[in-house]
Amino acid sequence: MSTEPSETPTAARGSWKDLPQNIWTSVFRHSLPSSELGQAQTSFTNFFLHIHPVKVNRHTLKAGYTLGLGLMSFFLFLILTVSGVLLMFYYVPSTTQAYDRMLDLRGSVAFGTFLRNMHRWGAHGIVAIVFLHMCRVFLTGSYKKPREFNWIIGVLLLLLTLFSSFTGYLLPWDQLAFWAITVGTAIAGYAPLLGEKIKFLLLGDNTVGQEALLRFYVLHVVVLPMVMTLLIAIHFWRIRKDGGLSRPPEADVTPGAERLSVQVVSTPQGKQAFGFMGLVRGPFTKVGNVPENTVFSWPNLLVAELFVFILTVAVILVISLLFHAPLEEPVNAMHPPNPAKAPWYFLGLQELVSYSAFWGGVGIPGLEVLILMLVPYLDRGSGGIGKWFAKERLMANTLFLTFTFLNIFLIIIGTLFRGPNWEFTVPW
Amino acid sequence: MNVSHTDAGKKGTTERRSFLTWLSSTALAGSAVISALANFVFLKPRATYGAPSRFSIGRPDQFPSGARIAIETRRICIAREGNQVAAISTTCTHLGCIVGVADTGFACPCHGSRYDQDGNVTGGPAPKALPWYQVKLAPNGDLEVDTNVEIKAGTYYNL
Repeated sequence: MSTEPSETPTAARGSWKDLPQNIWTSVFRHSLPSSELGQAQTSFTNFFLHIHPVKVNRHTLKAGYTLGLGLMSFFLFLILTVSGVLLMFYYVPSTTQAYDRMLDLRGSVAFGTFLRNMHRWGAHGIVAIVFLHMCRVFLTGSYKKPREFNWIIGVLLLLLTLFSSFTGYLLPWDQLAFWAITVGTAIAGYAPLLGEKIKFLLLGDNTVGQEALLRFYVLHVVVLPMVMTLLIAIHFWRIRKDGGLSRPPEADVTPGAERLSVQVVSTPQGKQAFGFMGLVRGPFTKVGNVPENTVFSWPNLLVAELFVFILTVAVILVISLLFHAPLEEPVNAMHPPNPAKAPWYFLGLQELVSYSAFWGGVGIPGLEVLILMLVPYLDRGSGGIGKWFAKERLMANTLFLTFTFLNIFLIIIGTLFRGPNWEFTVPW
Repeated sequence: MNVSHTDAGKKGTTERRSFLTWLSSTALAGSAVISALANFVFLKPRATYGAPSRFSIGRPDQFPSGARIAIETRRICIAREGNQVAAISTTCTHLGCIVGVADTGFACPCHGSRYDQDGNVTGGPAPKALPWYQVKLAPNGDLEVDTNVEIKAGTYYNL
């Protein structure tokens, strides 16, 4: 993009009166866009906005298609990062101090309860939203070529989200924390060959104690967020390189203009010589009068994103004002609570584990993750991309929904229908 | 890599080059893998700060015949029959909760595993029996338990 000042002659030194103006324009090179060129420049030259394409397909902006779930996951990640960093200023990862620090957050830190609520409910929210985002991507067939690997990165991000929440709830060092980690690391111990070694490496000791708390803290606040940030960046980058969000083929053409569009694509000269633009898959800013079904990202995409952002923040704020994050009794290493229940999203696993520790904790979840990762390579049909519940994908969608409802069913059983000694009870 | 078969001298050069490429990339990748594994060696503690595995549990006369006394802080249960004594683990073999001492043996509050008096599984998801640990009379007259040494179930120590 050309940034040459065309209005003022280069020789003029300018007056001191222009200093504030000079500083301002050196930071913000463009004023708010008033022309199409300006709209393009905004997305192209701003560091924070350059992740967006200059123009975006109209289909991408349909709220009913994406439901904004990917954006919500990302915004929750931001909320969790900010609230988490703030909580770190008062937290000490020590078995003798951690629980007292939780009480301090409640009693003597300004907004302490509120921030902890935000962090806890945000954590519950991100698990649910990331899962729903995966459902959306599956049910619209969006993992298909060329997006296969981005699906795998998505599955990894789901696992990291779960592991982050798992490492997070040890930190208050209350009864839930202690026994959840005892049970969780015991499950790791059932992994074939390396199980006991992994368990020892996670705990840093033979039992759950100070070493485990410190290790889970480091994983929770440094290692996992760093890995997730990297994977999120790759996830977003690949969306751009794969030509934006998935959409049906007909979404790329303005109705009534198919013929001209086809002509442009099939021009033989296009194959003979190409610049860097020829390497870019998917939409880029086309020159000339090519009919296309796109609009400028500024302001269309940005307004949509702002809306999802405000919605996410508002929901988290309201929930955090209304409900307090739970804190159980301080750790008593001699007496597990009865029943000792994990948070809801692990109760499906806990239900399975109560039948067989290996199959419930390692075998079945391992197979589920493996199948999930292989989905784009097993399902090789190319039909039904970019449509919810496409007819061509009836089989795949039915299988996926069965599998999903089975997991939700197990979670409901584990949450509501299990009482002391993990015996069957009715909640009413 | 295309190897020309017409020129013997050129062929030798290409083979040497591809061999050296292979050698150096293997060496680089190997060093990277070894460095990565070294991190795990660092992360595996050589000494732990947790409870010691060998400890004294007191004089033998603190455990009357027929008694089954759980020492919760050590996660063991001391069983004494006549002048025989044994230490049975109270850590559930399923997922590490602490089992309670019941009339019929042991019961786990977490996922409902049940064991008989000797620690054999009688119900629930527990995959194996509760281990028995070595008990010995130390020179100072105290009973000493070593949770690093598992012995055959039903093996009592004769006082």
